[in-house]
Amino acid sequence: MSGLVIGFDLLLVAGLAWLAWQALFDRHRFSAVVHFMAFGLVMALVWVRLDALDIALAEAAIGAGVTGALLLAALGRLPATGGHSPAWRAAQRPLVLLALSTALLATLALAWVAWQLPRPGLAVPIAEALPESGVTHAVTAILLNLRAWDTLLEIAVMLTGVFLVWSLGAALVPYAPATALPGLPALTRLLHPLFLLVPAYLLWRGSHAPGGAFPAGAVLGAGGVLLVLAGALPWMHEPRRQPLLRLLLAAGLLLFLAVALGGLLLTGTFLAIPASMAGNVILAVETAAALSIALMLMAFYLYGEPGR
Amino acid sequence: MFHAAIAALLLLNAGVALWRLHRGPTSADRMLAAELISVSAIAVLLLLGIGLAQPALVDVALIFALLAAVATANFVTRTWTLLHEESGNREEAGRD
Repeated sequence: MSGLVIGFDLLLVAGLAWLAWQALFDRHRFSAVVHFMAFGLVMALVWVRLDALDIALAEAAIGAGVTGALLLAALGRLPATGGHSPAWRAAQRPLVLLALSTALLATLALAWVAWQLPRPGLAVPIAEALPESGVTHAVTAILLNLRAWDTLLEIAVMLTGVFLVWSLGAALVPYAPATALPGLPALTRLLHPLFLLVPAYLLWRGSHAPGGAFPAGAVLGAGGVLLVLAGALPWMHEPRRQPLLRLLLAAGLLLFLAVALGGLLLTGTFLAIPASMAGNVILAVETAAALSIALMLMAFYLYGEPGR
Repeated sequence: MFHAAIAALLLLNAGVALWRLHRGPTSADRMLAAELISVSAIAVLLLLGIGLAQPALVDVALIFALLAAVATANFVTRTWTLLHEESGNREEAGRD
């Protein structure tokens, strides 16, 4: 039996290495993108085998789903001809060597540091702090209470990405499907309720089991991408709705900052949430963050500022 | 361990899809191979969820199933039709 399990894991690892190699070095662009999407799927299976269900959920939603959609859309925008970039120029070679050796050294240093980490890690202190955090699932407690600062900065980074895309893109290319696809609006109407139901379920589940804002936001954003494909989101492009769109994009970050400052006023510590209200506060922050993440992913997909 | 055996068999099945993914020859072949891997992964997840008594794996399978639909819709609207429309690029859509 254990031989079977080891064989299963070896199959997974071999498939993962092959997919990674193909995604990086396949000469054909579309083939590389599809290999990357399959890599995300197998990677999620690997996280499941490593007992990291939260990361498996996030990988399935963001790595395999949304990133694949973004890459396919980018592929559609690339010029048809051109293909691969030419080989390195002579002046670039020392820089490439320098970058490669730095990456190698950094990897070795990180591996050494990881080897020196104290065992058995932080599991026991986190389990002790769990009753104070307002949720019963350790990963959600870490992401939104114990290490909320990291999550706050992650959302800020995503919002900065949207700003960059909006400031770079000269114009939003009218991006209707290349051919009329009568099945697409019907499919969207049929499927989109599920893309609202599942994020709500993931948000609710996040307080006591794997789930939470990031997978929920990614699934909601994927549903939004489906709506964008079917052209079912005219409100996003109306000039009078732009303040609402911007408010929703920033809602996660704003509510997070409000909670952080409220903690400063109530307890004297930045981002400290009083235990009595932590459960409700975390659910509110997660809901706002999921909405913002979904809209940010849709903004990346649109690749340009709507309403212009 | 009956479930693990079936899961390993399904994983081998997905390995065949890997070959199709590499060989092509059309982009639709590649996309369908990726969808086959996705479906196999869903089945593997459900089997592991029963075998390891981890009901949360059903959630991961649910997300896989939902996002496979988005990936296919994206491919058809954004990539496949574009490749077919551009006559200069017919080779990429047809053969490679």
